[in-house]
Amino acid sequence: MTEPSLIELRSVSKKFQLESGAELKVLEGVNLCLRDGDVVALLGPSGSGKSTCLRIMSGLIEASSGETLRRGSPLQGINPDVALVFQSFALFPWETVFENIALALKPLTMEPDTARQRVKRAIDLVGLEGFEEAYPRELSGGMKQRVGVARALVMERPILFLDEPFSALDVLTADTLRTEIINIFHTGKIPTRSLLIVTHNIQEAIVIAKRVLVMGVNPGHVRDEILNDLPYPRDEQSAAFIRMVSRIHDVMTEAVMPEVAKPEAVVRVPVKESALQILPAVQISEVIGLLESIHGEGGMADIFDLSQKIGKDFGQTLYLVKAAELLDLVDTPKQTVVLTESGRSFVEGDINVRKEMLHNLFSDLRIVQQVGELLKQSETLRLPVEVVEQKVAEWLPNENPKNVVSVLISWGRFSEVFGYNDDAKELYLDVGQETA
Amino acid sequence: MQKIIIRRPFSAADVIVLALILATIYALIAYGRELETPFRTAIDIDLSLYSVPYYTLFSALRGMAAFGISLLFTLIVGYWAAKSVKAERILIPLLDILQSIPVLGFLPGLVLALIALFPRTNIGLELACIIMIFTGQVWNMTFSFYSSLKSVPADFSEVSAIIGFNSWEKLRKVELPFSAMNLVWNGLMSMSGGWFFLSVCEAFTLGDKEYRLPGIGAYMATAIARGNTYAMVAGIVAMTLLIVVMDIVIWRPVLAWAHQFRLEDIPGFTVTEPLMRNLVRESTLLRWLTIMYRRRALHRSLLRKGEMAAERLQPKLDARRFMKTKSRWSPLLIWSVRLLLSGFVVLVMYGTIRLVYTLLHVPIETWMGLLAGASFTFLRVFTCLMLGSIWTVPVGIWIGTSQHRIRLAQPVVQVLASFPAPMLYPLALAALFVLKIPFGLGAMFLMLLGAQWYILFNVLAGAMRIPLELKYATLLMKVPKWELWKRLYIPSVFPALVTGWVTAAGGAWNASIVAEYLLYKGKLLTTHGLGSVISVAASSANFPLLAASLTVMVAVVILLNRTVWARIYHLSQTRYRMDL
Repeated sequence: MTEPSLIELRSVSKKFQLESGAELKVLEGVNLCLRDGDVVALLGPSGSGKSTCLRIMSGLIEASSGETLRRGSPLQGINPDVALVFQSFALFPWETVFENIALALKPLTMEPDTARQRVKRAIDLVGLEGFEEAYPRELSGGMKQRVGVARALVMERPILFLDEPFSALDVLTADTLRTEIINIFHTGKIPTRSLLIVTHNIQEAIVIAKRVLVMGVNPGHVRDEILNDLPYPRDEQSAAFIRMVSRIHDVMTEAVMPEVAKPEAVVRVPVKESALQILPAVQISEVIGLLESIHGEGGMADIFDLSQKIGKDFGQTLYLVKAAELLDLVDTPKQTVVLTESGRSFVEGDINVRKEMLHNLFSDLRIVQQVGELLKQSETLRLPVEVVEQKVAEWLPNENPKNVVSVLISWGRFSEVFGYNDDAKELYLDVGQETA
Repeated sequence: MQKIIIRRPFSAADVIVLALILATIYALIAYGRELETPFRTAIDIDLSLYSVPYYTLFSALRGMAAFGISLLFTLIVGYWAAKSVKAERILIPLLDILQSIPVLGFLPGLVLALIALFPRTNIGLELACIIMIFTGQVWNMTFSFYSSLKSVPADFSEVSAIIGFNSWEKLRKVELPFSAMNLVWNGLMSMSGGWFFLSVCEAFTLGDKEYRLPGIGAYMATAIARGNTYAMVAGIVAMTLLIVVMDIVIWRPVLAWAHQFRLEDIPGFTVTEPLMRNLVRESTLLRWLTIMYRRRALHRSLLRKGEMAAERLQPKLDARRFMKTKSRWSPLLIWSVRLLLSGFVVLVMYGTIRLVYTLLHVPIETWMGLLAGASFTFLRVFTCLMLGSIWTVPVGIWIGTSQHRIRLAQPVVQVLASFPAPMLYPLALAALFVLKIPFGLGAMFLMLLGAQWYILFNVLAGAMRIPLELKYATLLMKVPKWELWKRLYIPSVFPALVTGWVTAAGGAWNASIVAEYLLYKGKLLTTHGLGSVISVAASSANFPLLAASLTVMVAVVILLNRTVWARIYHLSQTRYRMDL
């Protein structure tokens, strides 16, 4: 094919300036292109820079390095080929449904009648008839997102971007709307030539996309590209679909826990002694819930089944497993999660046993020890949280230090390793004499 | 020939509407004639009841004209500060300084300049008066608009960019609606801020000359100076009526209109059913006017359709539109903005240099005296806040925790808060004389008269926002009454209380100028304080002293804001913030 891609990213990187002055790398070396007829899903856990990618291609933000090409030439300013559907709907509360959609035509010079026809057609397509005069606040989430979709469609632009469009909706509503959008796209009622969806839901990516790009973290990058040639409409129950899901699982697991999916790596470096590992941003209560679920399954479970059982999407489940593994509570041979000895006694113990075990396990983490050392160096065993953040930024240049420290604080408080005073914004070593 | 079906003969509502329309027309004509009259510094104020409506209408027109200028200023300057990083760096600190300069600081310069500009007619003096009222209104509106523009949700900006709105379309369709609610609330407050110094703006002494304009403020000032109790009461009644009528005719409909621009339904917030709407429904005349207006609007939109069709004959490429967005500011515009900005900077620098030069010639003893005065006034402001809080906090919470009491009290509090306190000074003074309180202390009570309402207003609003769950929880725990206040009510209204204090403190510093130096029944009442120094300096046209005393006041107010208030505010926003 000689025709240039509608939009293309060539080794694009993006850095953000943090308040502390440090730089945070969110994307590195991303290559991505959208051609005519493409339906692509950007799939990845939070923090993999999916939305940043999408905003660079829309021209809403500029890449720090690399090239952004629109039909073969560098993109300048906003990409006029792009229509965008937002996760938060982004509807103007002071305009009615009709006006919200019609607004998208405002900058175009056209006769009011033509404009009205176009808006009506968009309303028709997404099934909003009868709601023309309603205000967004009168609508349910699903109906609001229909307005969001209609507003994007009415612009009749060649590229449609969907930024986690269904994650604010309940499962059933999301299913319905997803199917409808696929239908609209495939029946060719709209001039959209290419569609890209950002999502963290594997099934959603497979239902919609012909190509799934799996993104990895620290910093965000495209980890793998999977072609999906299942025929539409796609049946989530079919064997081929389930095989595809499990294939993408493998890729994602590898993205989050690189050592798991490589059975050939016989000698595994113990986690704690490898480079500074940080705890994923998960809640302790969620990890405990995960451990209890595994215990309920007899101490062993498949990661995928586990994610279904605890009702979390796969990416989040992976993070929970990773956290538990860091603390030596579970082991992960291939795709199975097994409770370790200490994991078993943890689940079987009462709250005090759990706290004590967690205290010891958490204290063993390298990052916790390093922060502990830092606090011991100060006379009072306490330090302003910014100081700790600065140190963390030095140790882990690819992480957002604020997030790392806030996870440390919440885990440290529960396991009684650290204490934190919000008035003074100080982190201290919890040696028992201090009561919060 | 249009046929209007009149369902009802003229009703009582029509009489009111007709009266309002006629009054407006009369006031406009009379005011126009006033502007044309040959220049006189001071007219004789007629204290008879007969002239009260006439004066009140004049003052209303001045207030509204000033408000129009404030709105224009706000839209331009607020937008500019929010959109240009360079302008922001200069404008925001500058506005902060300007807002702490009391109206007397602008008075001499404005009056002398404008009279020189219009030596023959009264326009100069009128303009000076309007601009002085404007300086009492504008600042918080500008700050509010600026911060609204700064806080437009990122999603909205992204949508506008993707759709391809230009700056004008974005302003009209996104930014103005988003700011409307805040702008209207601040406008309401600004209007009362503008009334505060009405008497000073309409009647003042500059050097050996007296200046007076026909208006309710000047009427009141004359009545106070001559000690005419009947006229004072008439003035107070007229002012109250003006505030109430403006509330009904302007603010309530505007608030109800702005309510459509809210982002979410705010729990516990109700817009009082605008009386105007009933008036429109009842009045045949107004309904007829509305129909006429709608026809015109329809006619115009049809016209526009025709223009659009013509425009379509020369099709524009969509792409070209987007190419434009990169350089939508033509170089000419950019350069004229730059020129304007540099002219502004030069002017400010020149002013600063002149000011520093003047200040250098002020002897050190004067500075010491000013500092002593500032500490006296500071003590008054401080005690005023404490005394004001003692009664407003419990009363505000008591009212704010009951929907029923809110509904009864809110309109009353609103009117009380917008009433210019200096007009009540004579009544308060009479009470002070009876109680034999020395004027040094009495001045503090006069300052309290205006400042306390800011605290009450904010505490009331804070109490309205106390989450119901917390109230239920404390009820179920059978918390003793005193504990309830200590643990729930006072901490929850604390952030609002701090806002009230900051506003009240600003108001009290300003009020010290009229409260510490007062002409009452032909006698001059003064006491030690920064406010009285400013008044003396302005009326005796002692410009170096005026500059020095104003500098001290601005410095003290800004210093207190940046140190004490900023810290207390931060505490209130972190520890006592309500987010459940």
